[in-house]
Amino acid sequence: MSQKLRISTLLIPLLISTSVIADESLLGRVKGSETLLQGAFELDQTFTYRDDKGSGNYESFNSKTELEYGVTNKLTASGYIKMQAIDTSGLWVDGYIPGPEKYSLKASGVEGSLKYNFLSPALDDFGLSGYVSLAYDWLDPHSGKDKDTTTLELQLLTQKYFMDGQIIWMGNAGIETTYAKRAAIANLPDGFEWPTDPEMEIGLMAGTGVSYRFTENWFIGAEVIYETEFETEVGQERYSWYAGPSLHYGGQNFWATLTWLPQIYGGGEQFSAQDDMDLHLIEKTKQEYMVKFGIDF
Amino acid sequence: MQNNWLIVMALPMVVMAVPGFAMEYLAIEQAQQLIFSDGDVFVEHLVKLSDADKDQIKAISGKKQRWDEQRIWRVQKQEQHLGWFIVDNVVGKHEFITYGVGISPTGHVVGVEVMTYRETHGDEVREQAWREHFTNKTVNDAFKLNDDIPNITGATLSARNLTDGVKRLLALHQAVLSDE
Repeated sequence: MSQKLRISTLLIPLLISTSVIADESLLGRVKGSETLLQGAFELDQTFTYRDDKGSGNYESFNSKTELEYGVTNKLTASGYIKMQAIDTSGLWVDGYIPGPEKYSLKASGVEGSLKYNFLSPALDDFGLSGYVSLAYDWLDPHSGKDKDTTTLELQLLTQKYFMDGQIIWMGNAGIETTYAKRAAIANLPDGFEWPTDPEMEIGLMAGTGVSYRFTENWFIGAEVIYETEFETEVGQERYSWYAGPSLHYGGQNFWATLTWLPQIYGGGEQFSAQDDMDLHLIEKTKQEYMVKFGIDF
Repeated sequence: MQNNWLIVMALPMVVMAVPGFAMEYLAIEQAQQLIFSDGDVFVEHLVKLSDADKDQIKAISGKKQRWDEQRIWRVQKQEQHLGWFIVDNVVGKHEFITYGVGISPTGHVVGVEVMTYRETHGDEVREQAWREHFTNKTVNDAFKLNDDIPNITGATLSARNLTDGVKRLLALHQAVLSDE
């Protein structure tokens, strides 16, 4: 804990002393369509805490560090380093969570993305961008076990200003394809399924959100996200609806966003021990808390 | 694990409590003198706008008048009426932008001065080269960004709202000041 505190303490003066920002996140998951200025760099950090699968104990902490660069005024390139910590016990889900796992923060994946702005929300009245990302992860975000996953994601990002920009609406729609292969695990209970053959999945997402600047520098927002995933063996493997609020600060020194995203409804594959059958809790949790902040230089 | 990680996540949010600093470039009196250097009398009027006035401003300019009251100075050189100086606020990306516009008795822009600007990018809105594009415009001009007013990359929202704001003030002049 003391190390975590030291890291955070070191970050604060860095954040205060630098000057700001263009492509800031007003919400937790739903993205805006704006891009960085040509030649500008931005460093973003996202922490996500996920917990509760409705059975046993499940907590996961994810870190995503992003460096963005404005290639042109319309094209932003980003590179990411992802880390993960997990603490799960008393939870067995056939084919997904093979028993307890616990480790502190360690590297879990890398990612690169491009965002191209077709229409500007301030200049064209409606913002539209295309977003593509390619990710490689070597830790499973659900079980915490070794799993090599390659994901290609495509999204359309839309944005519109209302009340001269005091209200900002954003909408995202996307598709992702995943190729994954799990590492074998020794000494699993008899009959416990843990397939190590390569698996391919297709996921769809749609999200929308609104952010309102209620006083200078401070925004309050809300977003709704639908995610679903299909794979060959079971068809629609899962779907989830998330909805929750965000509080955002954007100023001259930095921006930061705090988000709570509970899963409000879900389904698809489920496990018998979960305490709420109106949620999908195998690959998702009951809620997520996110903190994002960014500085540019 | 829960308490530790939630504390770590909350710490960066503490920085949000650090107040930003307002960058006031010009006081009202300075902006008045820059636009109306010959003016020697500035008489302030707090103009209260009725719903009908606001509707008329929107009908003329196409822009919504947000405020019910507007600080306006009648500018004179001795007995000669030089025009009007109006202070207004428009939405910037994070904070309001305060600016002043000088309007001649015939409804032409005499000058625009940005008095307070707190955004990260777009300091060009304060530069004379950009503000001069407003000079001599009337409410009948287009006021379209990237057309008769150049865009400022990285501060498009600020540039758009200032452009819309100047046109709205010309409409306000036509609606409630032109007869005075």
